[in-house]
Amino acid sequence: MSNLPFTKNDRINLSTAEVLLACGDPEGLNILSQMFQGFGVHTPKLCSNGADAKVAVQARTVNLIVVDATLGDMEGYDFIHWLRRCDIAPNCYAPVILITGHTRPSQIFKGRDSGASFVVRKPVPPLVMMQRIMWLLNDTRQFVTSPDYCGPDRRVKALGPPVGMKGRRHDDLSADVGAATTPNLEQDEIDALFSPKAVTR
Amino acid sequence: MSKPKAQVFAVENELGRLAREPGGRTIDQALRQAEQRIEAVRDVSIASLAEKADQLAALAAATRADSAPGGFGDLYDLSNSIFGVAASFGLKPLAEAALSLCDLADNYRNGEPANWPAVDVHVDGIRLLAMLGQRAGAAVAEPILEGLRKVRARVLPAT
Repeated sequence: MSNLPFTKNDRINLSTAEVLLACGDPEGLNILSQMFQGFGVHTPKLCSNGADAKVAVQARTVNLIVVDATLGDMEGYDFIHWLRRCDIAPNCYAPVILITGHTRPSQIFKGRDSGASFVVRKPVPPLVMMQRIMWLLNDTRQFVTSPDYCGPDRRVKALGPPVGMKGRRHDDLSADVGAATTPNLEQDEIDALFSPKAVTR
Repeated sequence: MSKPKAQVFAVENELGRLAREPGGRTIDQALRQAEQRIEAVRDVSIASLAEKADQLAALAAATRADSAPGGFGDLYDLSNSIFGVAASFGLKPLAEAALSLCDLADNYRNGEPANWPAVDVHVDGIRLLAMLGQRAGAAVAEPILEGLRKVRARVLPAT
């Protein structure tokens, strides 16, 4: 686990989290269920099709949704599209992990635009799923609602607007840097910033 | 009429709050328990693959006879679910064969004329690999996969 954003001794408590698992294949759903029960989720809500998943979202508060791209009666992408626009708060803002198997080129964009927090390709071993969950626990991305897209901000990195563009958000900073308003720091002042010394009173 | 503007706002990370409550288990324990539980359903899951492969053969025959309402869409979904379970338990040859059939079914479900010999050879290969399950060693699996790769390359050269 040396390259992971957590150590094996970090703790996670999912015992009170409401987790909804949706997959059109019974064996796939069972594998997901076993995985999340192993993670400590008490009773994950299991849905074998999109209609069941919609009913579950309307009936209870959910904290995490894991949905397969194939739900039998609909595609996982369409379920997420519905979820993000259903106005059932707080469920419509819940983190969603979309699991895909065979992926057509057109589905890559569909996955990106559906509003999923993460798209993960099968096979998804427990370590990969845990990595995504740990990332979601620290996710501070804002939520976007617009005519064309509803879901977490797709800009994971805060790099500002593209060069030459003004930006569409109130917190987008201009790429143009203004003139200095104070004198440059002296080298010893810069050095002092990098070599903190104990202060005695 | 002007287009409605986008709204951007913060939402509370309830999952993060719950997961940090006292108790729970270490990541190491959680991963080990998840792996153990998945391992416990390995046999039943792998046994289901042979059943799915038989369903695949029946579905392919019905699609060919034009009596399957879902047609190649259902064939695609079933092949995709075989891929998912096979890949979860490390049955790489079966996963590769199922993925290759997904490519074909995806190509044909939009009305392209189907190359049935290519579909049949995939279904037969998947049935054989699913029946062998974990006993499908490289010596058996590799010639099957090599044949499927050649068929796929001939039928779908551009992808």
